[in-house]
Amino acid sequence: MTAQRSARPSNTHKRSIVLPRIRPTRIVAALALAAAGGAAVSQTPSEADLARKLEQLAAELAAVKAQLATLQQQRAAQAAASAPAVPAANAPAPAAETASPAAPATVWSSYGEIVYNRPTNKPENAQADLRRFVLGLQHRFDQKTKLVTELEVEHAVSSSSDPGEVEVEQAYVEHQLGNTWAARGGLFLIPIGLLNENHEPTAFYGVERNFVETAIIPTTWREGGVQMIGQFNNGIAVQTGISTGFDLTKWDATSSEGQESPLGSIHQELALAKARSLSWFGATNWRGVPGLLLGGGVFTGDATHSQATTRARVTLWDLHARWTPGRWDFSALYTRGTISNSAALNAALIGNPTLIPSAFDGQYVQAAYKVWSRQDYALSPFVRWERFNTGKSYADLGPGLTPDPLPTETVWTAGANFQLTPGVVVKADVQRFRRNKDNDRINLGLGWSF
Amino acid sequence: MSSGGPASGVVVTLTTALALAPTAAFAIDYLSADQAAQLMFPQADRFEARTVTFDAEQLRRLEAAAGVSARSARWQVRVAQRAGATLGFVVVDDVIGKFELISYAVGIGADGAIRQVEVLSYRESHGHEIRLPAWRKQFVGKDSSAPLRVGEDIANISGATLSCSHVTEGVKRIVAVIELARQTGALA
Repeated sequence: MTAQRSARPSNTHKRSIVLPRIRPTRIVAALALAAAGGAAVSQTPSEADLARKLEQLAAELAAVKAQLATLQQQRAAQAAASAPAVPAANAPAPAAETASPAAPATVWSSYGEIVYNRPTNKPENAQADLRRFVLGLQHRFDQKTKLVTELEVEHAVSSSSDPGEVEVEQAYVEHQLGNTWAARGGLFLIPIGLLNENHEPTAFYGVERNFVETAIIPTTWREGGVQMIGQFNNGIAVQTGISTGFDLTKWDATSSEGQESPLGSIHQELALAKARSLSWFGATNWRGVPGLLLGGGVFTGDATHSQATTRARVTLWDLHARWTPGRWDFSALYTRGTISNSAALNAALIGNPTLIPSAFDGQYVQAAYKVWSRQDYALSPFVRWERFNTGKSYADLGPGLTPDPLPTETVWTAGANFQLTPGVVVKADVQRFRRNKDNDRINLGLGWSF
Repeated sequence: MSSGGPASGVVVTLTTALALAPTAAFAIDYLSADQAAQLMFPQADRFEARTVTFDAEQLRRLEAAAGVSARSARWQVRVAQRAGATLGFVVVDDVIGKFELISYAVGIGADGAIRQVEVLSYRESHGHEIRLPAWRKQFVGKDSSAPLRVGEDIANISGATLSCSHVTEGVKRIVAVIELARQTGALA
C-alpha cells in the first residue's frame, strides 16, 4: 500500500504543477504510466505484475524528478544575478566565450538609507528621515561605451513646502580608449577621499557618513567636465580632468551653512553652474598589494568667475589609506582646503556671522572588525575618531575685524554594521562630541545598495 | 600651507604615474579561454572538453559543501592532459561584478588545489585591480577545504568589493564542482 500511495497520480500531478511548462511530454508519460499502474493494481491479481509495473513507474518518476530538478536549477540560474555558466563555457570557439557576453545592455540600480537620530541630551530633537533614495540607470551602448546615471531624492518629499531635494547625482558617458585609458564626460563624482565615489550605505561604517568627508569634503560632490582614467598594471589608478568648480560669489555670510561645510555651501552641482573659470583635479590610488589602498587627490580652481573684485582660488586635497587584512578594516584620511584672497572678499562681508575661511581641514582614523559571520550575515563593530575644523584660519582683516579661528571639533563614533546580505545593512552607533554636547546622539539606520 | 604646495606635489606624482608604461594590457578582453588554459597548463599536449552533469542530489551536496548556490547542473571542463595523463582542469565562467560581467578562468590541479586564476575580461569602471597577479595569487594552492571568502582568506580591493566577492564566490563554486566531479568519477 505504501508503494501504491507514493505512485498515486494525484501526487505526481502536484509535482508537475511546480514547473508546468517543462517537458510536458515526459510528465504526461509519467501520468499515463501512473494511471496505468493504478488501473493494474485494481485489475490484475498478479503480485509479480504489480511489482514490475510499480518498479517501472518508480523508475520513470525518479527520472522525471531528476530532470525537473535539473531544469529547475537551470531556470534558477538564468534568473539569478550571476550569468549562466553553461552558455559561456559551452561556446564552441574560445573567443566566443568572452566576446559576446549575455549581459543586459541596460541595468537598473538603487541605493538608499533610512535613519533615526536621537540626540541623547536633547531627545526632543529626535528625527527619522528617509535620507536618500537613489535610482541608477546604466546603459551600455557597445563594448566600449556606456552611460551611467543616478537620480536621487533626499528627505522623501520634494516640493516648495517640503525639505526634500531631487538631484541628478551622476550622468556621464564613459568610453574605453584602449588597454589602459578610458575617457569620461558629463556629471561625475570627484575622486577625492575614500567616500565620495563609494558612498553607498553598504560601503561605509556608521549610520551617517563621517564628518570629515561631509563638512570638509562635500560628499557627494560632483562636477561637470571631462576626465581621463588610467588603470596601470602596477596597481596604480590615475584620474585627472577639467571640470566646473565652486562659486564663491554665492557665499552667504548671514547663514551658518558656510560653517557647517564651507565647500558644501558653494558647490554648484552642474545646476546652471558658473563656468567662466574651470578647475583641475587629479587623483592617484595604488592597490598593488591585496587589501591595501594608498592614495590622494587634489582639486583646484578659481571660484569667482570674474564676477568679484578679486580672483579667489579654492583648493582641496586629501591623502587616504585603507587596509583590510582578514577580518580587519582600517582606514585613515587627512584633508585640507584653502581659499586664496579671502581677505578681499571678506572685506565686504564684515559684521556678518560667517566669513570665508582661508583654511579648513579634518582627519579621521577608523577600525572595524568582523566578529561574526554566517553565510551572508556578518556583524562588524567599528570605532572612529575624527577631528575637523571648518574655519581653521581666516585671512587678516586688521585688528578687531579678523574672525577668530573656529574651535576644532572631535567626535568619537562607536557602533556596528550588521549585514543581512551583501546588499542590505542595518546599522547602529553612538556619537560623542567633545565640544558641542548637544550633538551627542544615538543613530539607527537601514541601508541597501544593488 | 599654500594652495600651490600640495598641488604641485600631486602633479609630480601624477606625472610619474603617467610616465609608467603599462606592463600588460588592461583591455576589456584580456585573454581567450584557450590562452588562459595554455597559461595554466603549459606542459599539456591536449585539452579535452568534457561536460559534467550533476543530478539534483549531487547539486544539493555541492551547495552544502561549498556554501554557495550551485547555479548550474552542467559544467564544461577542459581537462589538461599530457601523454594521456590528467594534469588538471580549467573552467571558464562569468559572474556579475557590480553591473557588468566579469569573465574569468580557474585552473585546478589534479590534486584539487587551485593552480591559477585568470581574468579574461573586465568591464566595470572600477576594480580593474582584480586582474593584478598579487590579488589572483591569493587563490593559488587553496582547495575545497579553504574558506575562500573575501574578508577571511582573500583580501578585498577597496572600491571593488562586489567584484572581489563575486569572483571569489565563483572560484569557490568551481573548486567545489571539480571536487564533486572527481568524487563521482565524472572526470575520471
